[in-house]
Amino acid sequence: MSDRIVDGVRKHTPSILLFFDESPFSLLWLWLSTEKRKQIKSEKIGIILYIAMASPGGQGGGAVSTRGAGARRMKWALELSLGNARGRGDRQSNQGDVMYPIGYSDKPVPDTSIQETDKNLVEKRCWDVALGPLKQIPMNLFIMYMSGNTISIFPIMMVCMMAWRPIQALMSMSATFKLLENSNQQWLQGLVYSVGNLLGSALAIYKCQSMGLLPTHSSDWLAFIEPPQRMEIMGGGMVL
Amino acid sequence: MYPPSLVVTFTKKSSVKMAKLTSLFVISLSFFCISEAVFEDQVGKFDWRQQYVGKTLFAHFESNTQSSKKMFVATDKNIFASFNSRTGDLLWRHVDKTGPEGSIDILLLHGQDALMVVGDGRLLRSWDTNIGGLNWEAVLDTGSFQAACFVAIQDTVKLVAVLKKAALSLHYLSNGHQKWVENLPDSDAVQYQAVYSGGEEEVYVLGVVPNSHLTIIAYSLEDGEIIKQRSVEASWLSSVESSCVVVGQGVLMCVDPATLALYTLPIQAEETPEFSQILLQSLDLEVSPGFQPVLVSSQPHPARSPLSEFFLQLGPDHHVLLQLNADGYTIAPLRDFQPAFLVSFATTGKKTVAAVMTPKNETACAINLFSVDSGRRLLDTTVLFPLELNGGKPHALYVHAFLKKDDSVGYRVLVQTQDHALTFIQQPGRVVWTREEALADVVTMEMVDLPLTGTQAELEGEFGKKADGLFPMVLKRLSSQVTLLQAWLAHLWKLFYEARKPRGQVKNEVTIETLSRDEFNLQKMMVMVTASGKLFGIDSKSGSILWKHYLENVQPNAAFKLIVQRTTAHFPHPPQCTLLIKDKDTGLATLHVFNPIFGRKSHIALPALPRPILQSLLLPVIDQDYAKVLLLVDDQYKVTAFPSTKNVLQQLQEMASSIFFYLIRSDQGNLSGFRLRKDLSTERIWEVVLPTEVQKIVAVKGKRPNEHVHSQGRVMGDRSVLYKYLNPNLLAVVTESTDTHPERAFVGVFLVDGVTGRIIHEAVQRKARGPVHFVHSENWVVYEYWNTKSRRNEFSVLELFEGTELYNSTVFSSLDRPHLPQVLQQTYIFPSPITTMEATLTEKGITSRHLLVGLPSGAILSLPKMFLDPRRPEVVTEHSREENLIPYAPEMPIRTEWFINYNQTVARVKGIYTAPSGLESTCLVVAYGLDIYQTRVYPSKQFDVLKDDYDYVLISSVLFALFFATMISKRLAQVKLLNRAWR
Repeated sequence: MSDRIVDGVRKHTPSILLFFDESPFSLLWLWLSTEKRKQIKSEKIGIILYIAMASPGGQGGGAVSTRGAGARRMKWALELSLGNARGRGDRQSNQGDVMYPIGYSDKPVPDTSIQETDKNLVEKRCWDVALGPLKQIPMNLFIMYMSGNTISIFPIMMVCMMAWRPIQALMSMSATFKLLENSNQQWLQGLVYSVGNLLGSALAIYKCQSMGLLPTHSSDWLAFIEPPQRMEIMGGGMVL
Repeated sequence: MYPPSLVVTFTKKSSVKMAKLTSLFVISLSFFCISEAVFEDQVGKFDWRQQYVGKTLFAHFESNTQSSKKMFVATDKNIFASFNSRTGDLLWRHVDKTGPEGSIDILLLHGQDALMVVGDGRLLRSWDTNIGGLNWEAVLDTGSFQAACFVAIQDTVKLVAVLKKAALSLHYLSNGHQKWVENLPDSDAVQYQAVYSGGEEEVYVLGVVPNSHLTIIAYSLEDGEIIKQRSVEASWLSSVESSCVVVGQGVLMCVDPATLALYTLPIQAEETPEFSQILLQSLDLEVSPGFQPVLVSSQPHPARSPLSEFFLQLGPDHHVLLQLNADGYTIAPLRDFQPAFLVSFATTGKKTVAAVMTPKNETACAINLFSVDSGRRLLDTTVLFPLELNGGKPHALYVHAFLKKDDSVGYRVLVQTQDHALTFIQQPGRVVWTREEALADVVTMEMVDLPLTGTQAELEGEFGKKADGLFPMVLKRLSSQVTLLQAWLAHLWKLFYEARKPRGQVKNEVTIETLSRDEFNLQKMMVMVTASGKLFGIDSKSGSILWKHYLENVQPNAAFKLIVQRTTAHFPHPPQCTLLIKDKDTGLATLHVFNPIFGRKSHIALPALPRPILQSLLLPVIDQDYAKVLLLVDDQYKVTAFPSTKNVLQQLQEMASSIFFYLIRSDQGNLSGFRLRKDLSTERIWEVVLPTEVQKIVAVKGKRPNEHVHSQGRVMGDRSVLYKYLNPNLLAVVTESTDTHPERAFVGVFLVDGVTGRIIHEAVQRKARGPVHFVHSENWVVYEYWNTKSRRNEFSVLELFEGTELYNSTVFSSLDRPHLPQVLQQTYIFPSPITTMEATLTEKGITSRHLLVGLPSGAILSLPKMFLDPRRPEVVTEHSREENLIPYAPEMPIRTEWFINYNQTVARVKGIYTAPSGLESTCLVVAYGLDIYQTRVYPSKQFDVLKDDYDYVLISSVLFALFFATMISKRLAQVKLLNRAWR
């Protein structure tokens, strides 16, 4: 998992923060710099693009599916030899309109790494899955910090996402357990996984609390107080 | 309430300086406060204004040609105005000071000049009648005004003579300069009452020593020298003004009701030292018993002597046209008019005619012209004046006569009725226009919901009835749905039909029959009670008068209280309003019960009220006909219930111990509270005395019974709640000190619980004096007074809070409130005096409140209550920002965009009435005074309706375009997929 942040900072223009995540919950997030954000009018927020690309299968599923897909692994290699041009032309004629990037080689590069099929690797993968939610927490904390406590559409969407993901993951526990069934420490991993998710949801709740979205104050119930009933009827005035 | 997210956009992280924050805050605030004003194309869309002038005292027509359009009136409201006689619209209007200072004593018209004496002889003014501009104004010497007349020199009118109690002055008509002023001899003993000029070189002043003699003084026009002075024995004469006129060649004609005789005396001649008597009996005339005979004469042109013909009124409907013979002693009767209500002379060119109004039948009066010389009736001059069933009787007749092309006399006539209405009638008998001038003095008003349409009412009725089997109910429901569908289709058809017509022609005539409630209950019936005793039902949308009802025998100083006993919500029972009219002199009260939609008097048995009524009290208790019960308290503190059916009496007995009322006697400085006993007598349970030597009670206000408070508390910055002290029994009593010295004057505001008499709070504003205008609503009182020390107007606001915990959240009983509320107060400087103040009112009380302030300039200011908040902090903190509190600033702004009536000023605003509409965002406002202005206000803007300029066409076309684009692209995609599959 790698987080890369591309920060196109320019004063007085919206800077773009790109959170790019290789995990299934990968989101491309255009965001205005915090200073500018304070003056956003809610109507104008529509120009901001928010694209979240989440593949089904929940947490860490990407890594597992790669493994499940089998042995064929490809790696990018730069082919800098000049004699390649003709071959590429051949390919184009063969496969129609598929364009390959510069440096792409048709021949598979031999995978020189040692193919480990022993239990350790399975174990490691399973731990990856189990620790996935916990690993998310620092990033969530960072996002929480960045988004601030104002109630506007972005923080709300964030909080919803943060709260919904662990719940979704917890609901699909059985699928996760199926993934972990090859492991020896299945139960421990399952426990860690659920604890991580619970921590994630706790974080979301904490965020809600700090944003003031939880009805924990008396003011939140003010609208439901009925006007008290009058016990006496009174009237009158100046003598006409 | 503005959504907090929009206003508070600061986070803890941002470390911006405080000043910047504050300025940002103010900017964001002002962002929400603007756009209160209407747009140009909205002018007149939701609002209307009607301008009035009041009861006409003097009326004149411009000139005696058929094409002249102007007429001029001076009224009891100190207004000089000009009407377009074709339409009845105001051409211009001059509103003078109220009270005796601006009262119009006399209005004289000559050519283009209108002469007016103002303020009991204080000022002499000349107006240009074409444009209504002031030509000149002259300050007259002190002394009360008696009479004035034009004076002509050699056939041209150049001067005006003004007679005061002790002096006579002559002024030039062209510039108002004084020609001369002379003190009247022996003015202590002699009451000078009339001045006369017949085009000669002298001007005559007539004075009387009551029951002794008459004094005639002739002044020289040139230098004001007394030419001659003589006194004539007249022991029967008490007043020249009321019983004498000048007729013919300067002959004083007097009538004596005691001896029933006419007396004549040539004014100029010296040889006749005494009156010559002509007994009415000798003319075969008889005066109605108890009637004071009245003489009416006419002087068509100031340069010539008056006509020798005159009217003598012998009874309420008996007039005689008489002629003074050339010898100056004998009188010849020309014609007897009986019955005849009103008579009037009118002159055009050389011809003078007499107009006589005679009753024709129950619904109309006939007006005829008679030749003055012969008393013959002129042919084809009959005009019918329609008498309304519930209108006033004719009171005065103003005739505009003119010569037609064929040299015959044509005329138009202005009839003033007892209810102050003016009706202008053209010759074939067509009513050209009617002005309801009683509306210039509205005393109280209410707004009543309009009834549902027939179909709606049917649906309502369906739910009201008891179930009679499943199948019939289904059938009934289906049939009513079908009728609804029919009505809807008819409505659509009408819309379509009207859309084809050009815009100007579509004019929905509102009549009583077509009245029905609109979708959002924005159109209501305004029931207005005027001081003259005339009731009006006005459609709030268009301002058209739908019904009027004149109550005769209402004293001019009567007190009115209008009560809505049953609203329109109880179909099939008609709505019911009750007007309590109390005669100030006798103290006796009468009830007028009527249907507020149609104005018809209800035939309900009224309770007998033999004793003077002190106050009334409307209970939320309803009888079996859904009418609320009205309790009337008499001077023995006994209570009469209306309606007083058995059911009601039983309910009253059960509830008696929880019914309280309070009475305030301002003259005794006494506040007292009473509790109802089971036998409808009362017991006094508390009494508060504010010593009248020190202060007097000026006004008291409770809370409006139809006020809803949505939020029971206020959310603080730390998200705790400060609960409001919402005591429904709280009264705000305002007192003013009797000492008016600027250093010692004060204004007191007492908050008294009306049930227990407990003084919850008292605020005394030192070095302040009234008049105090105040509003009491929810948990706050806002009052305005004059600060004598700083010499400025100040607003002060009191807010009451219960604290952070509610004592009892389910019931409120004044008898069980051990803790006093916390009271917060703040004061602000207001840059203008005010005339009246009221708070907006909405259906559920969710919308934020505004104060509607009537200014003397005629503007109505909509001031957000947010600015009058005692919690406004002096130092801005995180919490106060969170609460959207504006930092305290002593000056209260007046922004021109807060004027809800833009340039439609309302002269002399006396009261503002607010009523909720069916839309929570919208409050209906009626400002009344001399004018009536109706509009809608949106204190939190229109959050529940689409904007007026919402682009339906664009939105729907985009939607349709997108829909079709989707359909087409779907089809294309299918084709493409198919093609690919084939490849």
